[in-house]
Amino acid sequence: MPEAAIAVASLEKSFPPARSGWRAFLQPFEKPTVVALAGLSFEMRPGEALALLGANGAGKSTLLKILATLLLPTHGRAQIAGHDAVLDPRAVRSQIGYHAGSDLGFYARLTGRENLRFFGRLNHLSDAAFGRRIALLAEQFHLEEVLGRQVRTLSSGTVQRLSLARALLHEPRVLLLDEPTRSLDAIAASEFRRYLKSEVLGRGDTSLLFASHTLPEVELLADRVAVMDAGRLVACDTPAALKRSTGAATLEDAFMRLTGRSPQLTAEETTE
Amino acid sequence: MIHALQELWAFFWRDLSIARTYRTVFVLEALEALFGVAMFFYVARFVDSPQLQHALPQSGGYFAFSLIGFVFLDYLNAAMDTFDRSLLEARDSGTLEHLLVTQTSLPVILAGSAIYPFVATTMRIAVYVAWGAILFGFPLRDANWLAVAAVLLATLLAFSGLGILSASYLLLFKRGNPAKWFLLGVSSVAGGMLFPISVLPDWLQVVARLNPVTYALGAMRAALLDGANVQVVWRPLIVLLVFSAVLLPLSMAVFAWALRRTKTTGTLMHR
Repeated sequence: MPEAAIAVASLEKSFPPARSGWRAFLQPFEKPTVVALAGLSFEMRPGEALALLGANGAGKSTLLKILATLLLPTHGRAQIAGHDAVLDPRAVRSQIGYHAGSDLGFYARLTGRENLRFFGRLNHLSDAAFGRRIALLAEQFHLEEVLGRQVRTLSSGTVQRLSLARALLHEPRVLLLDEPTRSLDAIAASEFRRYLKSEVLGRGDTSLLFASHTLPEVELLADRVAVMDAGRLVACDTPAALKRSTGAATLEDAFMRLTGRSPQLTAEETTE
Repeated sequence: MIHALQELWAFFWRDLSIARTYRTVFVLEALEALFGVAMFFYVARFVDSPQLQHALPQSGGYFAFSLIGFVFLDYLNAAMDTFDRSLLEARDSGTLEHLLVTQTSLPVILAGSAIYPFVATTMRIAVYVAWGAILFGFPLRDANWLAVAAVLLATLLAFSGLGILSASYLLLFKRGNPAKWFLLGVSSVAGGMLFPISVLPDWLQVVARLNPVTYALGAMRAALLDGANVQVVWRPLIVLLVFSAVLLPLSMAVFAWALRRTKTTGTLMHR
């Protein structure tokens, strides 16, 4: 059986309470009491796409940050391609491409190309490989004309496309994307999904874990959907199976029912 | 090793490319240096006297003494400030998270962030000294450049440790640079920057002798003004290198711990 692309076992994360004034000096040393993840366990096989679905504060971004080695778990284990995110973070980072879901994260006075070259170099990409990848990604994300412009002159949607290109630049085995199409217009979002589906997931060797509030995107891309609520994994199955098990017609309804936010069942549904 | 060198070069190129987009800054800094040097020249003309010349440990008069003290302070400031400033910029621009998810190690990220600022400061110092030599007779003919380079390098290594400690503080508490305040504060009085430590009361002279800045500055003046070679300034060099050998690994360990702490508390990107 192939090694899991992502393996998460009994993962817990709590944060110390936010403090202001002089108490802020104590915060780095305070006990973590605010629960963000409460015993999460799941596995992803290589080439699989798993969507994280949950309300704001459900713990999706926290999970992605732990897997990206930007946060340390309080308890439990998180592994990527067999490497432990706590014990061997550099090995984990060699496997991942990460998109934080914002249009920040670039040097405003550098051009798009200079930014990508810099981050490519930090991911050990040679000049030849960079040239090949940037040509491909620029075409896919319609970045050819903006790569030579300073990032500060670009729209937030364009910067987001640049950020997605950065996550894919070094051909990572595992993609961690936090709301990848949040700032994109409908056309760019659609093209990005198509690219992910055909060029990245279609190859079969890259796994995708992404958080999204856009349900059509989830249904299009995800093999399975992990429904999260208050740091817990409520369900993890294919979109069709989630709908079937909840008796819902749509993924939205299934999500509402699984998280207890369901509108009252209609008289007909109650009778059924 | 090759990867590390390529990564360091990428950091240098990044910062140079950013600096090139602010071209007028180079011109303004060169002019600022000219005014600074002129100020020291005329202050020296005002205060110089045979008694003062006699009290100075090196030749060259008060102009040379004070100018070296001033540019050295600039260097010290760069060593103490660079890591803080890089961290703040990375945090505010949102690039910090993206740097930390690359395959580049933390020591290389820290070192890489410091290369361009150190090179730029060295260039700025060169401009100060050049203005002094060209327009105001700063004595350079006896300088031993190898010893000057050795002292500068040892100084950078020694005080970078304190700079990294400051960055660790910033990482945890989000504002402030206590190591810089303390060291620059103490050194401005008990470091021999603008006056020789022999004019201080006895107890402050003891403080000055415990301060590595005093040794670095003495060695720098000896190399620049009296042409002292590495064999002559070996003692302050050893002091600085011992200081580096203790402080650099310690500061790296403290920074790594502070980073782990922020990853535990989730405050890495907090301001």
